[in-house]
Amino acid sequence: MTIDIPFMWTAFKEIIKALPVTMMLTLIPLFVGFFIGIVVALIRVYKVKGLLAIANGYVSFLRGTPIIMHVMLIYFGFPLLIDAVAAKLGISVQTQLIPISTFVLTALSLSAGAYLSEVIRSGILSIPKGQVEAAYSVGMNTFQTMVRIILPQALAQSIPNFTNIFVGFLHTSSIAFLVSQKELTGAANIVASTNLKFLEAYIAAGIIYWLVTILVEGLSSLVEKRATSYMRGGVR
Amino acid sequence: MIYLQGIKKSFRNQEVLKGINLTIEKGKVVTILGPSGSGKSTLLRCINFLEKPDEGVVQIGDVRVVAEKANKKDIMALRKQSAMVFQHYNLFAHKTVLENVMEGLIVAKKMKKAEARQRSEQVLERVGLSDKLNYFPSQLSGGQQQRVGIARALALNPEVILFDEPTSALDPELVGEVLAVIKDIAKEGITMLIVTHEMQFAREVSDQVLFMDGGVIVEKGSPMEIFTNPREERTRKFLKRISGGLPVHWIQKTAY
Repeated sequence: MTIDIPFMWTAFKEIIKALPVTMMLTLIPLFVGFFIGIVVALIRVYKVKGLLAIANGYVSFLRGTPIIMHVMLIYFGFPLLIDAVAAKLGISVQTQLIPISTFVLTALSLSAGAYLSEVIRSGILSIPKGQVEAAYSVGMNTFQTMVRIILPQALAQSIPNFTNIFVGFLHTSSIAFLVSQKELTGAANIVASTNLKFLEAYIAAGIIYWLVTILVEGLSSLVEKRATSYMRGGVR
Repeated sequence: MIYLQGIKKSFRNQEVLKGINLTIEKGKVVTILGPSGSGKSTLLRCINFLEKPDEGVVQIGDVRVVAEKANKKDIMALRKQSAMVFQHYNLFAHKTVLENVMEGLIVAKKMKKAEARQRSEQVLERVGLSDKLNYFPSQLSGGQQQRVGIARALALNPEVILFDEPTSALDPELVGEVLAVIKDIAKEGITMLIVTHEMQFAREVSDQVLFMDGGVIVEKGSPMEIFTNPREERTRKFLKRISGGLPVHWIQKTAY
């Protein structure tokens, strides 16, 4: 067996063109998921009546099922749902015109929200209760205490966990290839399909994933050092 | 002025406070003594509703709150009348010394930033920390952290400052500096309620001493009365125990 190194380089150059799609499929869900995550985490921390059961169920189901299944459920289920609603309201929607990426992004955002909510919740719970009491004792209300005292520390301490989730979702975005999104893995497949040199193409794609991961981890540790310097006596 | 009437508090089935009545006049310094588990800290925490009393009335200054009917607004109003100094300092870890003191002024008192800064610097000078304004709590000794805690409370200019065992978590050699600061501000005429195990300090600083045991105030009086001639057997026993097995007159002697 020989490995075609020159083809690997060709493939690399071809595949990396799909990096923006992969980054979009990673960053948008994480961005949307971050806000879902904060809301869900707060509902669960404060045990908001009426919403608590929904939040618990959401996190339990989405963390309890594979992300690929969320993509499939949304991809096959949403058009049916939209059609049904549209029929009820008497308007016509052409679901086949909705871009596939919309379904993928929705599914990944919902998954990211569930995972991130747990990261944020554990960050919030790691802040000593004494600081909350101190904030109340100087006359701050619950909202001010959360926004000014708890969240800044909780989020700073969660940076390593956020990075974990980022890396996980960067790699998970490859499943979008199953519903014909041309991201890194999809691109590798297409490149290789011309001469069937799949191994070379996948190695090239793997290297791209790895490089992005290394880059992000380095960046994260820099940011973390800065954000949590207060814990080490201001040492960055 | 603080006025407490019929304060009751239970955790699960354990009745920690069994109906506390207490009036503290403006400007007085009152210390609460008592064995651990006697309800001292719980009483203090009921005054600013960090623990919600099951029953009773809490009044600080003009704000009067009936525990059973207390809503969020009442509790916020009551908390703005008081400030608290904690056993474990509870400084905001991500904020500098100056920011810790300014936080309450800006957020709760809606003070202008420049004004809050000036006031905070003033108070921090008072507690001897002018050279640490931009330090983080993690860079300070326990004694320094507690002095920031005191400055944070003092800056708010509250009707009353509640001290919850302010020196109990400190290394012995750091206790002195904190007590000195408390004594210094006690002279200023700010109302203070102090839970402490420092007998010598309690004797020197208090206008009135309360002895609590089993969720009730067993005895109250001037430091002289409590330390030299306690009426209740329980008070006598406690003082004896805390003087390390030495006879009570040991404390009496050092008290003079």
